[in-house]
Amino acid sequence: MSTSKRPVSPYMLGPYYKFQITSVLSILNRLTGVFMSVVTAPLLLCWLIALASGETAYAGLSAWLGTLPGKLVITASVFSFCFHLFGGIRHLIWDAGWMMEMPQVRSSGWLAIIATVVLSLIVLAAGS
Amino acid sequence: MSMRNPLARVRGMGSSGGGVHHWRAQRYSSLLILLLTSWVLWMGVSLAGADYATARAAMATPFNAGMTILLAGAVFYHMQLGLQVVIEDYVHMAGLEFSLLILVRFACLAAFLISAMAALKLLLGA
Repeated sequence: MSTSKRPVSPYMLGPYYKFQITSVLSILNRLTGVFMSVVTAPLLLCWLIALASGETAYAGLSAWLGTLPGKLVITASVFSFCFHLFGGIRHLIWDAGWMMEMPQVRSSGWLAIIATVVLSLIVLAAGS
Repeated sequence: MSMRNPLARVRGMGSSGGGVHHWRAQRYSSLLILLLTSWVLWMGVSLAGADYATARAAMATPFNAGMTILLAGAVFYHMQLGLQVVIEDYVHMAGLEFSLLILVRFACLAAFLISAMAALKLLLGA
C-alpha cells in the first residue's frame, strides 16, 4: 500500500469530502442529541427545579427565557427536538429492516427535513 | 502460532455480546420517549410563558407528575447511552474517555433523581 496523499477518515471532512444527505443527516442527528444533552435537558431540569423552589426562582427563569438568548435557546431546542425525533424514527424504521434502498433513504431524509421545519414552526407558533 | 482457542481470545475483549444490550436499551428508551412526545409537546406549548400558579397547578396532577418522572427516566437513560457512544467514538485518550464516561453516568443519574424529587414535591405540594 503506497503511503499516499489520500485522505484518511478523521480528515475527510473539509475539501476532500462531498457532502450527501445521508451523512449530513447522520451527523445532525448526533449534533442535535448532544445539543439537547448539553443545553435543552439541563434547561428543562432548571425549569423543574425553579418551579419546585418557589415563585422567585421561577420568575427569574421565566424572565431570562423571555430575553433574546432565552428565545434563541428555546428555538434551537425545538428544532433539535423535532429533528432528532424524525431522525430517530428513520433509524427505528431502518432497524426494522425497512426503507433501506438508496432512493428511499434519500426521500425519507428530505421528508424528515420538511417534517422538522413544519413541526418546529407549529410548536413555536403555538407556544408563543 | 498461538495455542489459545479463538473463543478464549475474544471473551471479555470487544464483541462479547455486551453491545446488544446497549443497542436494545437505546431503541427501547427511544420508543418510550416517542410515545411520550405528544404529551411533551402539549405541556411545552401550554406552559410556554405560563405564570407560577398556572405552571404549579399543571404539574400538581398525578398524571403529569407520573409522566414527568417517566420521561426523565427515559430521557436521561437515553442521553447516557447516546453520549456514551459519542465519547467512545471521538475521545481516544483512555483516561479522559473513562472519566467522561463515568461523569456522564453520574450526571444522568443525578439529573433523573433531581427531576423525580422535584416532580414529587410539585405533586405533594411540600
